[in-house]
Amino acid sequence: MQTWFPDFFDRHGALTVFDLLKDYLESGRIKVDRSKNPQKAAYHDPCNYGRKSLELFGKGYFDEPRWIMDQCMSNWVDLFPCRGNQYCCGGGGGTLLTPYKQERIHYSRKKFEQIRRAGVEMIVVPCHSCHGQLRAMAKEFDMPDLEVKYLWQVVAEALVIET
Amino acid sequence: MSQAEVEATTKDEFVIKEKAPLRPVQSPTDLCLGCGTCSAGCPMTGVEGFDPRRIVRMVLTGLDRELIDSKLPWLCTMCAKCEYACPMGINIVNLVRTARSMVERSRVPGQIHKGVEMALKTGNNLGLPTEDFVFIVEDVAEEMAEEEGFSDFRIQLDKKGAGLLHTLHNKLVNTQNEDLVHWWKIFHLAGEDFTIPRENWEGVNWGLFSGDNEAMKTLVGRIVEHMDRLEIKNLMYPE
Repeated sequence: MQTWFPDFFDRHGALTVFDLLKDYLESGRIKVDRSKNPQKAAYHDPCNYGRKSLELFGKGYFDEPRWIMDQCMSNWVDLFPCRGNQYCCGGGGGTLLTPYKQERIHYSRKKFEQIRRAGVEMIVVPCHSCHGQLRAMAKEFDMPDLEVKYLWQVVAEALVIET
Repeated sequence: MSQAEVEATTKDEFVIKEKAPLRPVQSPTDLCLGCGTCSAGCPMTGVEGFDPRRIVRMVLTGLDRELIDSKLPWLCTMCAKCEYACPMGINIVNLVRTARSMVERSRVPGQIHKGVEMALKTGNNLGLPTEDFVFIVEDVAEEMAEEEGFSDFRIQLDKKGAGLLHTLHNKLVNTQNEDLVHWWKIFHLAGEDFTIPRENWEGVNWGLFSGDNEAMKTLVGRIVEHMDRLEIKNLMYPE
């Protein structure tokens, strides 16, 4: 967008998923109850929102999703390593669309070592590739009950509906 | 890039080195120290001859053709752990992406290029016709409106003057319909005036993966068109 359509920003604003969720929560436009999400969960940093965004645009989205997790989850932990040094889920860069499944399983072992160490029953991600890969790999790594949810899904599930 | 151009550029050696953008760091590939930090950090090292340092060495020794013809560029997830750790800031991801861009399009593995072609032709990676798309989103929206607290929820496609443009990942209208509603619930309770394009609603741009900048630009351009045509205030960057 910045490269090909720089004048776009003279006419419109653009918001990331984190900007939106944070704005709704901070301004009180939505209310959430973190006790609705009691599962022990971990947040996974997608490469593109974190490390690569930091490298390419000078800003990595590390703190925003964690703040959102704090609002919506009552029991969550970080994986180690995380943030800039995290391990990729193994499905990035379009590899999820290639026929190389055995290679993808091998790649994911690092992620699943991390998940096992953290002892969580849920992984929260803000990325469709990570979601697809982790869900498929949970079966391969003998963790069929591991829940994989979108960040906006746990927000939606914690929403307080005033009637 | 035409077939002839692909052939003409890929016969040469040291093409990737010249072509790969020096981003994020203005660091020429020649500065590689060969230390292997990249390879030590990569979960794919050792698989079928893959390792990031080897890719850099291939580029530096003019083995472009061998790299392009191999599976190696497609085993990389372009996660950038290697270049993040690199003491010289070598732009390893762009070497991989440039190698991918030089692979003849019919030989791009799996669904990546097929999805790009489908999106260019039909407006989405699935080739889903507009009437089917409209049926699916309206059906899911009606079901959601049956839940407590959302009874007055409606989807408005192509709404002029909306506050926010929301594009969709194709899998949500394909096999994961149940995941369409999370954002909609949030939007509804936040009182967000959002809209979804009736056509060209694809939020995914696989040109990024296939190394196809022309296609990528076309697909981004469609989002710009929606924003201008419908006079929408804010774009929600595709998830």
